Amino acid sequence: MLKYIVGRVFAMLITLFIIVTLSFFVIRLMPQNIFDNPDLPPYVVEILEKKMHLDKPMYVQYYYFLRGIFLEGDFGTSVKIRPSLPVFQVLKSRLPISMLINVLSLFISIPIGITAGTIAALRKNKLPDHAVSLLVVLFISVPSFVFASLMQYGLTFLYPIFPTLYNPSATTLRQLAMSITLPVVALALNPIATVARYLRGELIETMSSEFLLLARTKGLTRAQAVMRHAFRNSCVPLVNIVIPMFTGIMGGSLVIESIFSIPGMGGMMISSINAGDHPLTIAILIFYSIISLVTMLIMDISYGLLDPRIRMGGRR
Amino acid sequence: MFGRYDMDEQIRNLPDSYFELVDQDQLADGALPTTPIGFFKDAFLRFKKNKVSMFSFWMIVFIIILSVIAPFFNRYSYVQQHTQLRDMPPRIPVLEKLGIADGTRVLTNRRKANIENPDLFPPASVLEVFNHRVVNGVEVVDAVIDMYSYRNAKDVYFWFGSDYLGRDLFTRLFWGTRMSLLIAFFAVITNIIIGTVYGAISGYYGGTTDMLMMRITEILAGIPYLVVVMLFILLFGTGMFSIIFALTVTGWIGTARLVRAQFYRFKGREYVLAARTLGVPDRTLIFRHILPNSVGPIITRAMIAIPGAIFSESFLAFIGLGLQAPRPSIGILLSDGQKVLLQYPYQTLFPAVLISVLMISFNLFANGLRDSLDPTKRGEE
Repeated sequence: MLKYIVGRVFAMLITLFIIVTLSFFVIRLMPQNIFDNPDLPPYVVEILEKKMHLDKPMYVQYYYFLRGIFLEGDFGTSVKIRPSLPVFQVLKSRLPISMLINVLSLFISIPIGITAGTIAALRKNKLPDHAVSLLVVLFISVPSFVFASLMQYGLTFLYPIFPTLYNPSATTLRQLAMSITLPVVALALNPIATVARYLRGELIETMSSEFLLLARTKGLTRAQAVMRHAFRNSCVPLVNIVIPMFTGIMGGSLVIESIFSIPGMGGMMISSINAGDHPLTIAILIFYSIISLVTMLIMDISYGLLDPRIRMGGRR
Repeated sequence: MFGRYDMDEQIRNLPDSYFELVDQDQLADGALPTTPIGFFKDAFLRFKKNKVSMFSFWMIVFIIILSVIAPFFNRYSYVQQHTQLRDMPPRIPVLEKLGIADGTRVLTNRRKANIENPDLFPPASVLEVFNHRVVNGVEVVDAVIDMYSYRNAKDVYFWFGSDYLGRDLFTRLFWGTRMSLLIAFFAVITNIIIGTVYGAISGYYGGTTDMLMMRITEILAGIPYLVVVMLFILLFGTGMFSIIFALTVTGWIGTARLVRAQFYRFKGREYVLAARTLGVPDRTLIFRHILPNSVGPIITRAMIAIPGAIFSESFLAFIGLGLQAPRPSIGILLSDGQKVLLQYPYQTLFPAVLISVLMISFNLFANGLRDSLDPTKRGEE
C-alpha cells in the first residue's frame, strides 16, 4: 500500500512540474509587457526588471523561478493588482472566503443528494421518482450561473430576502450566512443532482440483486432492506463521484464569485489575467493545479484502500 | 495467388461456379419473410418510442434552424449600433397589443415635476403614473414609460430589446447561438476524431505502444481542465479557433479511453482472428472490423459532450476569455446581461432561457440516444 501511495505522489509531482513549466513559458511568452505603465520612468523599469530577472535570457529566468518556488516557497510579488505585495500574501487574503463557499456547497450537497436519490429509488416510477428525475435533469443541464442570475433577480430584487451582493463588512454570523447563501446554493445544485442521479441508479441496480431478495425473505420491509443492505454498498463508490465534484465546484465558483462580487480567488484570477499581472496569474494557476491534483491523489488512494484490485492506477 | 491487400475484394468477387453444395442438391432456406432490421434502424425504432427524446431532438433542430435563419428576420446586423436607442426594452409587433413586450419600462422614484414636464417626457410616452408620495418635501412618483415614444422611435421594433450600445438583441442572440453551436460542434468532432484514432491504435496494438500512449494521456489528464483551457487561450488569444482548440487539448482523452476499451474487448474475438488469418491488413481490421463496434458509444459520447462544450464556451466568456468584442455568443450575451441584471433583466432572460432549453434538450436527446443505441444501459446515467 505504501508503495502504491509513494508511486501516486511521485506521478503527481511530475505532473505538477510539467504544469509549472508550461504556465511559466506560456505566460512569459504572452505579448503583454509587465511594466507598460507610461508614467514609470525608464530607469525605474530597468531596476524593476533587474530585480525580477527580466533582463536575463528565458532559461535563466526559468531557473530563478523554479528556485524561488521549490527552495524558498517564493512566488514573487504582485505587479499590478496589489503592487509589491508578495503573491503568497495576496492569495492568503483571498483564499478563506472561496474555500468557505466551496466546502459548504460540497457538504450541503451530499446529504441532500443522498436523500433525494434514496427517495427516488424507493419510490421508483412513482411521483417522487419523477419529480427527482425532473429536477436532476434541470440542475445538471442548466449552468450554475443561470441559476445564480435567476436567484439574484428573484430573491434579492423582486423579493428582497437576501442581500444582492456579498457583504464584506459582515460582522455577525447571520449577516455572513445571509450573504453567502445564494452563491452556496447556486454552486450546490449541480452536485446535488449528480449525487442523486448516481445513487438512484446504483440503488435500483442493487435492489434487483439476490442478497436483497434474501433480506426481504427474512422479513424486512422494502425500505429496511434497502437502507440496511443496499444503501451501504452504494455509498462506497460514491467517494469516486464526490471527490472530483470538488474540482467542478471550484471551477464554477470562478463565475459565481464574480456574479455576487465575492472577493475570492475567482475574481482575483480574472482580474490578474486581464491586467497582465504575470506572477499572480502563474501562482493562481499553480494553486488550482495543486488543488485538483491533490483531489485526484486522494481519490486514487481511497480507490486503492476501498478496492485493492485497482491499486496500480491506470492499469484498469 | 492473391495480393495481401486486395484479399477482401478478391474473396468477395469469386464467381459462384467455384462453389458447390456438399450434402444437398439445393438450399432449403427460404428468403426471409420480413425486411432485415440493421443496427441503426433498430436503434431508430427504439428512439422513436421515447417521446421526451423525440421532442428534444425536434427542439434542437428548431434552435439550429433559428440560429441559421433568424438573423435575417429583421434589418439589423449584430454589430449595428444605435447610440440613441440604448438598453431599449423588448417590443414585438403583435404581442405589444396584449401588453407583453410592449416596449414599456417602469421608472421608479422620479420627481413628479419631471414626469409632467413635456420637454423631458413627451406626454404620449407617459402611460401611467402611480404611487404618489412625498419624500423630503418633494413629490415623487413611479411611472410606466413607453420607451419607444419617449426616444421618439415609434417605428422601431427591437424584438428582444437592445443592449448597452443599442444593438438588436434578437439578432445578436441567434448569431450568438450560431457561434456557440459551431464552437461546440467543431470541438466535439475534433475530439472524437483524435480520440478514436488514438484509442484505436493504442487498443489494437497493445503492449509497449499502449503503455506509452496511455502514460501520455494520463499526464495530460492530470493537468486540470480549466488550467489547460486558460493557458491555451492566453497563449493563442481569444478567437473562435483558439477556443475550439482549447476545448480539444484534453477533451479527446475520454473518447480515446472508451475506444481503447472497446478494442480490448473485440480484438481477441474469433471473427477478428478469422479475418487476420485471411490476411486482412491491420488498417482494415481496425477501421472496418473492430471500430464499428464502438460506433454506438462514440455517438452517445459525442452527444453528451456537446452541451458540455456549450457550457465551457459560456463559462470562458463569463471569465473574459470569450470571443472578440463585436462577436456575440450565448456566454457573452449572458455575461453582458448579468452586469445590468437588476436594471434590464430581459437582457439576461432571453439568452438564459435559450441556453437552458438548449442544454436540457441536448442532455435528454443524448439520454434517449444512449438508451436506443445500447438498450442494456437503459436507466443508467
